[in-house]
Formats: sequence, C-alpha cells, structure tokens
Amino acid sequence: MDEKYSSNVLSGGKLGMVEVPNSRLTRYIVLLVVSKVLKALGIFESYDILKVVHIVQFIFILKLGSAVILLFFQKPFSSGKVISKRQWIKLVKHAVFSCVISLLGFFGLTLCGPLRTLLLFEHSDVVVIALLGVLFTSSGGGPSKAAAFFIIAVICLLLFDNDDLMAKMAEHPRSLISSTPAISFLGVADHKGGVVLLVASLCLKVGFHTASRKLSVEIGGAKRLYALDNLVSAMVLLPWVIVLSATTESKVESWSSLILPFGMIIFSVMILEFYVEAICNAKMETPRCARYGTIALFLSALLLANFWTHPLTDQLRSMSKPPQQVSTEHVLSGGVLVSAIFFIMSSSILSSPSKKGQKGTLVGYSPEGTPLYNFMGDALQHTSQSLPRFIKDSLKQILEEYDSRQIFYFLCLNLAFTFVELFYGVWTNSLGLISDGFHMLFDCSALVLGLFAALMTRWKATRIFSYGYGRVEILSGFINGLFLMVIAFFVFVESVTRLLDPPNINTDMLTPVSVGGLLVNLVGICAFSHAHSHGGKSCSSHDHGHSHHGHSHSEHGHGGHGHSHGGHGHGGHGHGGHGHSHGSAGGGMNANMRGVFLHVLADTLGSVGVIISTILIRQFGWLIADPICSLFIATLIFLSVIPLLKDACEVLLLRTPPEHEKDLNSALEKIEKIEGVLSYRDPHFWRHSANMIAGTIHLQIMSDVVEQRIIQQVTAILKDAGVNNLSVQVEKEAYFQHMSGLSTGFHEVLAMTQQMESMKYLKDGTCIM
Amino acid sequence: MKTHRSIFGKLLQEFRLVASDRRSWRILLFGSLNLLCTGCLLMWCSSTNSMALTAYTYLTIFDLFSLITCLISSWVTMKKPSQVYSFGFERLEVLAVFASTVLVQLGALFILKESVERFMEQPEVHTGRLLVGTFVALFFNLLTLLSVRNKPFAYVSEAASSSWLQEHVADLSRSLCGIIPGLSSVLLPRMNPFVLINMAGALSLCITYMLIEINNYNAVDTASAVAIALMTFGTMYPMSVYSGKVLLQTTPSHIIGQLDKLLREVSTLDGVLEVRNEHFWTVGFGSLAGSAHVRIRRDANEQLVLAHVTNRLLPLVSTLTVQIFKDDWTRPLLTGTLSSSSSPSAPPLGSAEGYATVSSSSLPPLLLSSGGELDPLTSTPSKPSSPPPEFSFDTPGRNVQPMVLPAPGHHTHRPYGGLGLTYGASPYTGMLNQGLARPSGGLGLGMQGLGAGKHFTLSHI
Repeated sequence: MDEKYSSNVLSGGKLGMVEVPNSRLTRYIVLLVVSKVLKALGIFESYDILKVVHIVQFIFILKLGSAVILLFFQKPFSSGKVISKRQWIKLVKHAVFSCVISLLGFFGLTLCGPLRTLLLFEHSDVVVIALLGVLFTSSGGGPSKAAAFFIIAVICLLLFDNDDLMAKMAEHPRSLISSTPAISFLGVADHKGGVVLLVASLCLKVGFHTASRKLSVEIGGAKRLYALDNLVSAMVLLPWVIVLSATTESKVESWSSLILPFGMIIFSVMILEFYVEAICNAKMETPRCARYGTIALFLSALLLANFWTHPLTDQLRSMSKPPQQVSTEHVLSGGVLVSAIFFIMSSSILSSPSKKGQKGTLVGYSPEGTPLYNFMGDALQHTSQSLPRFIKDSLKQILEEYDSRQIFYFLCLNLAFTFVELFYGVWTNSLGLISDGFHMLFDCSALVLGLFAALMTRWKATRIFSYGYGRVEILSGFINGLFLMVIAFFVFVESVTRLLDPPNINTDMLTPVSVGGLLVNLVGICAFSHAHSHGGKSCSSHDHGHSHHGHSHSEHGHGGHGHSHGGHGHGGHGHGGHGHSHGSAGGGMNANMRGVFLHVLADTLGSVGVIISTILIRQFGWLIADPICSLFIATLIFLSVIPLLKDACEVLLLRTPPEHEKDLNSALEKIEKIEGVLSYRDPHFWRHSANMIAGTIHLQIMSDVVEQRIIQQVTAILKDAGVNNLSVQVEKEAYFQHMSGLSTGFHEVLAMTQQMESMKYLKDGTCIM
Repeated sequence: MKTHRSIFGKLLQEFRLVASDRRSWRILLFGSLNLLCTGCLLMWCSSTNSMALTAYTYLTIFDLFSLITCLISSWVTMKKPSQVYSFGFERLEVLAVFASTVLVQLGALFILKESVERFMEQPEVHTGRLLVGTFVALFFNLLTLLSVRNKPFAYVSEAASSSWLQEHVADLSRSLCGIIPGLSSVLLPRMNPFVLINMAGALSLCITYMLIEINNYNAVDTASAVAIALMTFGTMYPMSVYSGKVLLQTTPSHIIGQLDKLLREVSTLDGVLEVRNEHFWTVGFGSLAGSAHVRIRRDANEQLVLAHVTNRLLPLVSTLTVQIFKDDWTRPLLTGTLSSSSSPSAPPLGSAEGYATVSSSSLPPLLLSSGGELDPLTSTPSKPSSPPPEFSFDTPGRNVQPMVLPAPGHHTHRPYGGLGLTYGASPYTGMLNQGLARPSGGLGLGMQGLGAGKHFTLSHI
C-alpha cells in the first residue's frame, strides 16, 4: 500500500490535466475507495483512543506525527519560495482555525460516536456548498430534493435515532471530556448536542477550506500549506498540552501500546486521505471524486459500525479495552440506517455534475423560436461592496435626515435596553425577563420597518418606481397600523381569557424590570412628538406638555403578554390630543412617523397599565385589575390606530386628497371658465406621497386656441391648488376626428362586431362637433 | 354617535347590495362556517396548549380574510367611480389582498416570538385534540379554497413570483409527475400556494403528533410552529410584494418590455422629439393607467401627434393622459405653414394678459427662447444644451402628412360642450378590450404565461 501510494504521488505530480478515458480512471477510483475505507477505520480507531487520551493531546499527536511525515515528503523549507513574516502570521491564524475545527470535529466524535460523525462531518466541500446554495439562494429549481433528503437525514439522526444505550453510558463516569455546559444547557441528550455541533462545524470547515484557498496559492501549493499548517498547529497546541499533562494525570497505562494505533490513524486519516484526494481531484472532476468518496466512506462506516463491536474484530484490534464498555455504545439503530441512506442519496445527487450550468435570465426568443438567455446579469449584479462600507454608507444616509435619525437613535436605545434586559435575564436565570426581552425585540421590528421606509423614501426614482419611492412611507405606515391592530387583537384575546380565569401574577419582578423601560419609551415619545409637531405644524405645546408631565412608571411587565401593553387615563388623554392635532394638520403628515409614534405610544400605554395593575393588585389584591386594564388598553390602541389606517387607506386607494378637495373643485371651476376651454373630463387627482399630489386631466378646447397656452394656464391654476405633478391632455375636435379615422383604419374587422355600436356613437359625437 | 350610526347604516346598505347577488351567498355561507371552525379551533388550541395548532389556525383565519376579499371584489364590480375616488374602487381589492397577506404574516411573526419564548420553557402539549383539530382545519380550508372561486387571490397567486415553498416542491412534483403523468395538471407548473401550505402545515402537525405520542418530545410542537410560521412567510411574502407594488404605483415589470416597445414606436412617430415623465402603473389587478409628456417639433400638428400617440398606447394603457408640448411656442413659426393647426386669432402675448392674473408665478418663461427652459412642471431636467428643435431636426419630405390634413374650420363655432363630452370613457374602454389581444398578439398572449411560468423555465436552463 505504501509503495503504491508514493508512486502515485510522483506520477500525480508529473501528469498534468489530461483527458483520461473512463477505464483508466478505475485505478484512481479504487485508490480513493481504499483510502476512504482506511479513513473510516482510522476514525473508529481514534474513537477508541479518545476514551483514554485527552482530546487536545490526541490532536497534538496527530498533527505532530503528520507534520513529521509531511516534512519528510514535502520538504517545505528546502523547496519553494521563502515564506515572509506576513505569511507566517497568516499561517498561524490558519493553524489556529484548523485546530479549532479539528477540536470540534473530534469532540463531536466523542459525543456521537464514529458512525454518526462520519455521516455528518465527512461531506465533501462540493456537496456542502451545493447544499447551502440550494437552501439559501432561492434561485430555485436546484436539486431541492437533495436538500430535503439531507435535512431529513439530519432530523432522523436528531429525533429518530434513540440512542438509548447512550443513556446508560451517561451513567458511567465519562472520560476527561465531560459534556460542556454549552451543550447541556440546551437540554438535549449528549449525542444530539453532538449532531448539532457536527453540523455547525461542518459548515465551519467548508467555509475554512474556501477561505484558505487564497493562502495556499500564496504559500505555494495546497500540499506545502498542509505540511506547514500541521507543523504550526502542533506548535500552537504544544503549550496547552504541556499545561494539561502537568495538571491532570493521564489515564494511559502505556504510551508504547498506543504507538501502533496512532501511527495507523495518522497514516490513514491525516496523510493518505489528503494525498489520494489531491490526486483524484487532479485526475477526475471534483464532484465525481466526492461522489465515489462519500459513498465508499459511508458504506464502510456502516459496515464497520456493525462489525466493530463483534468479538472477531475485537481480537484483531490492537487495543485491549475493558470489556464492559465495548458493546454498549453508539450501536446501529434504524434511525441511523435510514439517515445514512438519505445522506448517501443526497450527496450523490448534490455531487452529480449539474448539466444545467449557470442560471440565466430569459432575454427573448430567437427567430427560430428557441429561448435566449442572458447569463452574465446575476454575476455582475452581485458584486456587492464590502460589508463595513455598506454599513457606513447606510449609517450616513440614516443620519442625514431628521426622521430617520430620530428613529435610529430610538431604535438603538431600545435595542440597548433589550439586550441589557436579556443579558440580565440570562445572568439571573429569570424567564420573565428573557421573555420580556423578546417581546421588546418583537416591538423593535416595527421600528426597523419605519427606519427602512424612511431610508427608502429618499431613493431616486427608477424605471419601475417612476414617481420615486415616496409612497413607501405610506405603505409602511399602513403596515405599522396593521401591526398595532394585531397587537391590540392579541392583547384583547389574552385579556378576555384572563378575565374568565385570572391567574396569579408575581408582581415582585415587575418593578425592577420596568425602571428603565418606561424612561426609554418616554424619551421616544419626547423625540417623536417633536418630530411629529415638526411635520404636523400644530399642537407641539400639547405634546410637549404631555411628555414633560413625565412619569416614573414602567415598561412591559413580564407576567404575560396580556398586560404588556397596558394603559392609563393620562396616556389616553395625551393621545386624544394628538389624534386631534392630526386631524387638523393633515397636510404635512408623514404616515410612517405616525405609525412609529403610535407604536411607541402603545408601548408606553402598556407600561403605564402594568404599573396601575401592579399597584391595584398589591394594594387591594384585585387580580382582575390586570385583564381589565389590558382590555382598556387594547381598545385604546385600536381606536388610536383607526385614523392612521383610514388615512393611509385613502391615500393607497387614490382618493382625491380631502384637504385639497375644496381647492381642487374651485380650480376646476376656474378651468372651465378659461377662454377657449369647452369642458374637461376624467379629472384624477391623488396624493402620491407626503409631498407629491399627482393629477391628470383631459380638456376639450376650441379649435382656434393655442394648446400650449391652455396647458400653461391650467397647470398654473392646478399648481395653486396643490397639484405638483400634472399631465394635461388637450383635445380639439381634430383629435377626435383623427382618432376615429385611426380607429376605423385599425378596426376594420372589429367594425363588424358588437363594437360597431360604440364606434357609431363616437362618429356621432364627432359629427355633432 | 350619530356619525357612527350613519357609518354602520352605510355599511349595512353596502352589505345588502352585495348580498343581493346570489353568488355572494355562497361566500357568506362559507364565511360563517369558517367563523365556526375558527372558534372551535381556537378553543382546541388553548385546550391542547399547542403552538403549532395555533399557527395552523391562523391559516384558517387567513381563509376568512380571503373570503372577505372575495366579497369586496364582488362589491367593487358593482361600484362606479365616485367623484373623490376617481379611479373607481378596483384598488380596494388590491388593498384587501395586501392587508390580509400582511396580517397573516404579522400573525406568523407573533407565532415566532411566542415560539422563542417557548423554547426557554416548553410546556406540555396535550395531543388529545391535536389531530382532530388538524384534520378539521385542513378539511375546511381545502373546502373553502376549492369551492369558492376567489378571483383576486387566484390572480395574485398566478401573477406573483413563486414562493420559496413552491419552488422546493416543484422539483419533487416534477419527478412525481414523471412517475404518474396524470398528476401534472394539479402539480405543474406549480401548485396552488394555499393548498400547498395547508398540506404542508397539516403534514408537520401530523409529524408533531406522532413524535409527541411516541417519544414525548414536546419541543417538536414549538419547532413545527416555527416551521409553519416560516412557511406562511414564504407563501405570503411574494403575494404581498406583488400587491404592495401595485399599491406603490409602480410599473409592473412584466409590462416593461412591451411598454418600451410602444414608447420606442411613439418616439419614432413623425414630429415627436422625445417622450418623458412617463408614469405607468396599474389601477387594480391588470388595468394599466399612465401619463406621459411628449415633446414635439414646433411645426408639428399637436392634435395629430396626440391622436397617434394615444392610438399606439391605448391598447395597453386604458387610462391614458398624454401631454403634448412644444418649446417656445410663443415665437412665430419660421416656415409660416400654419395651414394645419389653430392659427391664433389673437396674438399670443395679447391673450396672455388675460391669464396673467391667474398665474403670476409660473409664467415668466413666456419669452424665454432656449430649449433649456421648458415646462415648469416636468421633473426630469431636460438637456440645457439642446438647440431649438426645428434646426436640430432635419426633417425630410415625408412629414407632409400633417400639413395635408384638413382643418375643419367650419366646425369650430359649434358648441360641443354637453354632448361632446360623453364619448370620453366608454368607447375607449370598449376598444381596449378588443384591441388588447390584437396589435401585440404574441406579446400580449405570452405575457401571462411568462409571468406564471418563468421560474420554471429558468430553473431548467
């Protein structure tokens, strides 16, 4: 075997990319299969070794051993370019990452056993990248079947593979590697934690491999990089190993008996597989290589898992072990079998060479009728700028304008409060706090929406958004209104159920939670009412007074969602004034800001309501106060949202703006009186966005009037009435004659049909003129 | 109080109007059934304490919304445009679709939030009514979906881009159809998204039931609630994007190619210099409205160009306004061929005095000569460097056409105030319906198919 392998290295290095006929590939496929089988064997072996050797020591030995061998073969120092200091730093980083990934991988191995590790962790990069592509780019049509299989397989491992024997194992004092708090925190069994860990580290591994490609070019080849990487990671691990061996006593009886298995593992897992993979990738296409490799690996893993614990193999194995552990862990179960089959299927589909090629966009049809596609569009569009730059740009945009700046600051404040609450909740292990934190996050989504809309409003008009993006603001206001309606509805339902059956509420937690909360929302109200009066001209004093009335109450309670939006007479009062101000101000409104403001207001009402009900419950023990309060709040929110929704609906339905209705009517009268104008028809006027009122009108004028003058006059009149995006179609009698002429010319055939009647009508009309 | 009563009175009146149609009885029947079912399900939700069932119940509530949308759409067809709602009420349909999809997505968001809270502390789920509830909801949803013809939602689900869920199922269903070809009418090119999500939700609930029964994994309930909520998002998002774009008055992207072609045609018409400020958008589902400003040569006949432009665009755009405009029209024409158009009886400046009072602000450019200062209304700035059009355009002899046309001068003195107006709307719309299929036959027909099937053709490339 050794000889074969080394000779292949040489020939592999010499032969370039040559088109090899299929029959000549057989030897490489066989080689690949053999190396995979050996790898599976090595993984099983290393699982056994890991029971006695600490994982860090284990990895150290692996890395060191392979580094020594690779140094001998590869001679990274004597051949190739000199490595600069900068590259050394990169190498160290690379090595640290590879250490972390192998730590995770082998830790997963100790948790799940070799078979499951092989199934989960040993997917080729091609497969995983294809899988992620299918899952996360909804470019559609990809082999989603394969993705479904993969997910089913993982779920099978997670749920249906009841590793009951594992539970028994857990009673044994495990080796040095006890399950870490991170995984036991999730409250799942060990091997399930392992499954999750392995999937995560699989993604990490693939990302790492992709990222390290550039470095391998810099260093001078993947093999040289691999050799150096092993060396450096052994160095990196060295201090840890020294500390470990100094502090803990080893369970190994004799290191000498471990030399053989270690050698075998180093050879099969670290070196042989690497070289064979490199050769095969050079000889065959990568997906094919991945397909054969994976199938061989999984099948051999299944076989090994079946026979590993068999007494026959026991004798063959080089290690002697305490017998009671051998037969009890990580045996084959139905779930594993099914998931292995699914894994094999999915990876064979995913790694099958895609005949589809790139995805293109349909451009049109050729004269022969075959579809034409454009392949480059996507690739060009997706060259996005770097993330920090993008963040910087959008931040700058946000801070440019008053509205978005206000929302942004408040969002930051709110998020900061939420995270403080969440962290404190995790720290003190208080479920109430955590759930309240999530509730706040839920509320923040409305703010995010508002922020995004405020940002979008300023985008330039495009071909599709020909009027510009101003209307987004109104739509966002509408969505926020609906959001509040949903919230009000849920609060209502919750409070009704609580009214029927008032639960016991623990009021102790409420006060400390809410100290900061109300303050945050008050700041918000203050800021937004300013922004608001800014837009809405009037009533600033009222709002101001209201916010200065200040309270020392609190924010959401955690007793339930029912009362997390609570209310209060005073708040309601303030709001009434506010709504009124809008009714009058109307013109300068900004639906988006209104929606955000109402949201913050609802939150504040909620916190005030919580305070009131807390006081009532504490003082008088009226448990029913809480649902009644929530009921009251729900109604208040509901009532306060209605005007916003109504206004937004009117704008979205293209109603003639009510505040301009009178002006427009008088303008229309004026237009009729212009000299030369006979009449008008189809007057459409609608509010497009906060500062744009669009309109179209058709005018009939006498034949001897200059059209352009009429257009100017009408435009001026309507501009005075507030319409600032106007199209006037001026029609003379000649127009109708032309039209009827054109139409009859066009509609010769149609003239026979029922259309005839209307045509005649049209002609009549012309005749009368 | 009085205003409230009047609102209710109005609502009642409109409701009677809708109910007078026999077709809407069926919708009302299903609506009441749905209410009953939803009530039952909500009770079962609280008794089973299952989040997944709650998420599934929201789909039933969504069905209720879709029934309401259906009622609205039948109401819309009965209503004529009023003075304030000058475009008619077709958009109400769009708004209803948008609101119901957004509401159900917000419901899903709520489910997500609750699920996150449940992951911390998983309460026990009672499976007693879980399966019953699932099948009752599935049965009612499918019954409603299949027996009520819901025009707006059918349109949106056809026209919107296919959802994430649909795309993933499309692959499976294609291979399934390879085995059983008979299914292809149902499954291809893509499944009805509502049926799909109902099925998928029911499936995940069944799995939940099994797992809870067999292994007592209560957390599966939360997980499947999250899954249903995500699927709801996936299904509803494309539809709300589509209807939201209609509400935002955007040019529908599948029309753009056709529209460009027409505009190119228009700009090659004789006398047309450029088309700008073109705004095209959909009023309801389907009918296009639009306006454009067309700049023409100084010596061109405005009415003729207008007629030609309108004639080109009208088959596609039913509510069309074209503003024709000329640069410095106040200057007398150099050529002096004024035979065709309205020879001004009074000199322009003289009559300008009459309206100078009306529009004092926006009329200084009367005597401005360069082409840079154009219409004060146009938002797109024109090139300031463009020379006066009559010199820049070397017009060959083929533009004799406008001059030749007879000027019906003897008609001008007839008043056509009252009667002339009536032939505005109705003949146009009549012509539109006929015309749509014809002049752009291939494109017009191909459009629908393209919109629906484009994802599938693309995925096979």
